[in-house]
Amino acid sequence: MKALVVVAHPVSTSLTRAAADRAVTGLESAGHEVTLLDLYAEGFAPAMSHGERVAYHSETPLISSDAIRAAELVRSSQILVFAYPTWWSDAPAIMRGFFERVFIPSVAFELDPGAGKVKPIMDHVSHLVGISTYGSPWTYVKIMHDNGRRMIMRALRMCTGRRTKTTWLGLYHIDDADDAVLTAFLERVENTMAGLS
Amino acid sequence: MNVLVVYCHPVPTSFVAAVRDRVVEALARRGHDVRVEDLYAQGFEPSLTADERLAHREIGVEPELLEYATNLRWCDSIVFVYPTWWSGMPATLKGWVDRVWARGVAWDLPPGASTVRGRLRNVRRLAIVTTHGSARRINWLEGQAGRGTVFRSLRVLCHPLVRTTWLALYRMDHIDDSVRAKFLDKVERRFLRW
Repeated sequence: MKALVVVAHPVSTSLTRAAADRAVTGLESAGHEVTLLDLYAEGFAPAMSHGERVAYHSETPLISSDAIRAAELVRSSQILVFAYPTWWSDAPAIMRGFFERVFIPSVAFELDPGAGKVKPIMDHVSHLVGISTYGSPWTYVKIMHDNGRRMIMRALRMCTGRRTKTTWLGLYHIDDADDAVLTAFLERVENTMAGLS
Repeated sequence: MNVLVVYCHPVPTSFVAAVRDRVVEALARRGHDVRVEDLYAQGFEPSLTADERLAHREIGVEPELLEYATNLRWCDSIVFVYPTWWSGMPATLKGWVDRVWARGVAWDLPPGASTVRGRLRNVRRLAIVTTHGSARRINWLEGQAGRGTVFRSLRVLCHPLVRTTWLALYRMDHIDDSVRAKFLDKVERRFLRW
């Protein structure tokens, strides 16, 4: 299968970036064809522009080259993986920007103005995976609603098929984690990705 | 009161811009001091940089964000005005949180403490005024991320008795103008009582 790994972290030596690399290694070892999209490194525009907002409801909602390329990758992928650090119980701005600029009509869903309904069109996606690091312990993350996870596992999940599987890999309380915990997390990421079929 | 209106929409002629105007007018008529952050118009850069990330335990913000930080320390209330995209805030608004709610501005970590302490005790009211393309039920299923970020994550850094207000319009693209006009009136009435 084809897989797209989208990663958002400003620091190239971060744990999030390492986790994305290990996800790629795991997916490749399982025989998948993987593309890694590093939003910061590629200078992905972090927010929907005026022009994109105006084009949103038109026949051609994709107008920027970075979003067009990302949309092509999404359309041809069966596995979507998102890796980011959770800040303020949500994804970093640039990851939210990826959602608002790429998962638009003609990529994630179609708008049916007559019926007033949204028709999901990402039934080609068989696996939806989220990988995130958290400064807070698990309980606190739950109290704070884990809004980034909700965006992926609920909102985006609604645009995929009925049988799409979801996987969440979180490392909590990261500031208190020692090397052994970090290593174990990276192994878990690689092993879980290697097991996707 | 000092009210900070944080507004985020790329199109100046959008319905959300009309909402912002009604909020600002009503607050001004009520006699409040209002400052508006128009994030798109001010060219706010949403992505936290590598330098900011590496220095996130140090106090303060980047020089170009000083005025944003000053406004956040100045206000008694914050009103967020934005369209709900992917069940939460637009990226640019999330970027304002990522970059401006920094150590020494919104929170502190005293020596020996294991958890952050809120510094925004000045903020006693939080409001969200937002529009949704989807129905209320769908937004609820999606998890209401924007509401969670503001009323949970940001709230804990504000005054312990901070009050929250939620004003939302659903099914934006399928309702007629009279419903939209009613929503604008409702927003105005609400902020005339602030």
